[in-house]
Amino acid sequence: MQPSRKLFLVAMLLTGTTAMAQQPSPAPGLNGSWERWPSSFAGLGSDADPPPVDPSAGRIPEPPLRPEYLEAWRAEQAEIQRLTEAGLPPANNYSACIGDGMPAMMMAMFPMEVLETPGQITIIQEAYNQVRRIYFDGELPPAEQAEPRFAGHSIGRWEGDTLVVETVGIKDYVLFRNVPHSPAMRIIERIRLVDDDFMQNQVTVIDPEYLTSPWIWTWAYKRWPGYRIQEYVCENNRYYPDAELGYQRLRVD
Amino acid sequence: MRSPVSIVLGGLIAACALPGRPAAAHHSFAPYESELQIAFTGVVTSFEWTNPHIYIRIDTMDENGEPKRWLIECANTTILNRVGWNWNMIEAGDEIAVIVSPLRNGEPAALLKRVRLADGSEYGNGGPAGPATIDFDGNPVPPVPE
Repeated sequence: MQPSRKLFLVAMLLTGTTAMAQQPSPAPGLNGSWERWPSSFAGLGSDADPPPVDPSAGRIPEPPLRPEYLEAWRAEQAEIQRLTEAGLPPANNYSACIGDGMPAMMMAMFPMEVLETPGQITIIQEAYNQVRRIYFDGELPPAEQAEPRFAGHSIGRWEGDTLVVETVGIKDYVLFRNVPHSPAMRIIERIRLVDDDFMQNQVTVIDPEYLTSPWIWTWAYKRWPGYRIQEYVCENNRYYPDAELGYQRLRVD
Repeated sequence: MRSPVSIVLGGLIAACALPGRPAAAHHSFAPYESELQIAFTGVVTSFEWTNPHIYIRIDTMDENGEPKRWLIECANTTILNRVGWNWNMIEAGDEIAVIVSPLRNGEPAALLKRVRLADGSEYGNGGPAGPATIDFDGNPVPPVPE
């Protein structure tokens, strides 16, 4: 590094705090903490204000699975419900301390934080410290070639005021609502602020191998000013699958 | 130790059946007998402030006067921080009162609905666990908000 540049950097560091304090706060944009809307759990923020978001927000339609998969999926859903009502909920990724991955992590079961930095948007979901990184440069790998991950691989672009994110490369056992998917699955999100306090995310899942048409729904989020995302490490998992029946049991000692 | 064990049917709790609640997106509390709530007091032997859930072990007496150790399951650290709990608000040796739903399979574990600490302060267990429908004496009450 040239001496003059080094001096400039030192000067920046010395005066940085004052200089930053004098600048007006930037518009928050997507930055900050968000909770899902409508929320169903106490302990999250208020959902008293009527929001201007898509009224279907949070309602997930039945997946348009191909007939050969739809019947099995419906039967499995019914069986999960039956077992759960009988007090024998089947063990699942959650009871194994495994996070949601995409797209489920965007339901914002717990609050989430959005960080906009040059060339990148990072989304942190409080539950299980889940992180996804959306890059604005480069290209996605072909879906079938992408290393399978929980959050997948995401590239974003702005279309006017809408952040469009395409994601590929989700592990085969990372399922939303137990819907199976192929390595060719793509997830398209259209995320935008509907006003300063509400954000909505139209999610489209495309997977010609399993779905007859795109599976589309909308999630909405309410800004939670000042909320600091907390740590959540799954360090003390007392759940285990019953050896015979596979349902979720609790280690009692 | 005051009240031994008071058992009251707490009325049907439909918390798990509310429309719009995402299925299987959190740890299921279905193994607990949600329509049954019991209240008792006991002495804390451990308080595990951990994820995915928090656990309290409590020593008390059963209906026959025999010693019984309960494992009480609570929500997670981030939810309970948000409703006012503190990581160090319970310590071994504290006498506390709890309202819980026991496991259906008879093992000595239960899901917390509400806790009263030695100083008289009371806390719910966050939304997913559902509200208490009895008081600390075992009498039915309207659902106590989380």
